[in-house]
Amino acid sequence: MPSSALPRTRERELDRVFGALSDRTRRAILARLAEGPARVSELAEPFRMSLPAVSRHLKVLERARLIARDVDGRVHHCSLAPDSLRDVDRWLHHYRGFWEGSLKSLARYVEQDKTRKLR
Amino acid sequence: MTPNDAQSVTLVVRETIRATPERLFAAWTRPEQLMQWWGPEGVTCTAAEVDLKVGGAYRIANRFPDGTLLWITGNFEVIEPPHRLVYTWSTGMEPGASERVTVRFAAHGDATEVSVIHERIRDAALRDMHEKGWLGCLAGLRRYLASG
Repeated sequence: MPSSALPRTRERELDRVFGALSDRTRRAILARLAEGPARVSELAEPFRMSLPAVSRHLKVLERARLIARDVDGRVHHCSLAPDSLRDVDRWLHHYRGFWEGSLKSLARYVEQDKTRKLR
Repeated sequence: MTPNDAQSVTLVVRETIRATPERLFAAWTRPEQLMQWWGPEGVTCTAAEVDLKVGGAYRIANRFPDGTLLWITGNFEVIEPPHRLVYTWSTGMEPGASERVTVRFAAHGDATEVSVIHERIRDAALRDMHEKGWLGCLAGLRRYLASG
């Protein structure tokens, strides 16, 4: 029995996110940004990578909507996107608990109600 | 079914309950019943108002163990008794964002599978601003790289 089939746009989005995470340099960039925003040159430094090379990685991360960019004059700052994995994960965790608890409560309510009626 | 926005996140939760779809639909939409079960353990529903019509509003008050009160509000988009409800969802804690909840009641023998699909949809204007911002950034980056 298939689990919930996701719409095509959602599947593409997930492809991009997992594609973005499948590279250790990009994972390291995300780890760095988890500590706070950084300039593109700062992100390139630990890898001693050329700016075009780090830009290619940043484009993949941007397309996956994992990072956002701010341009301040000529300086480009990168930060984890508001919809970053951490934020999404937190939202999912919160609401999964909320709904599972609520549905169990609903089950108790209608099932106890039925018992009362039978008496 | 409307196509899923590329910036939205979707959560699906299911529970099979020994009751008819009609019974569950009533429990979900009648304020006096809703108040008796709404919310997970520890959260009590202290008030509920439901204007059950397309475009109609609902308000549900949630009292948490620490005493805080949170209102969930929204409007109905689809009302198909007893099988489907679709409504917007807002807690007022995320300005500009909106969420959508779809509840389905599907009979399976003498039980009903209740599915809750909760979508977190970014505000369209906010999303457009994001896109314009990124396009601007990439154009700027291209110029920066081209300049050597």
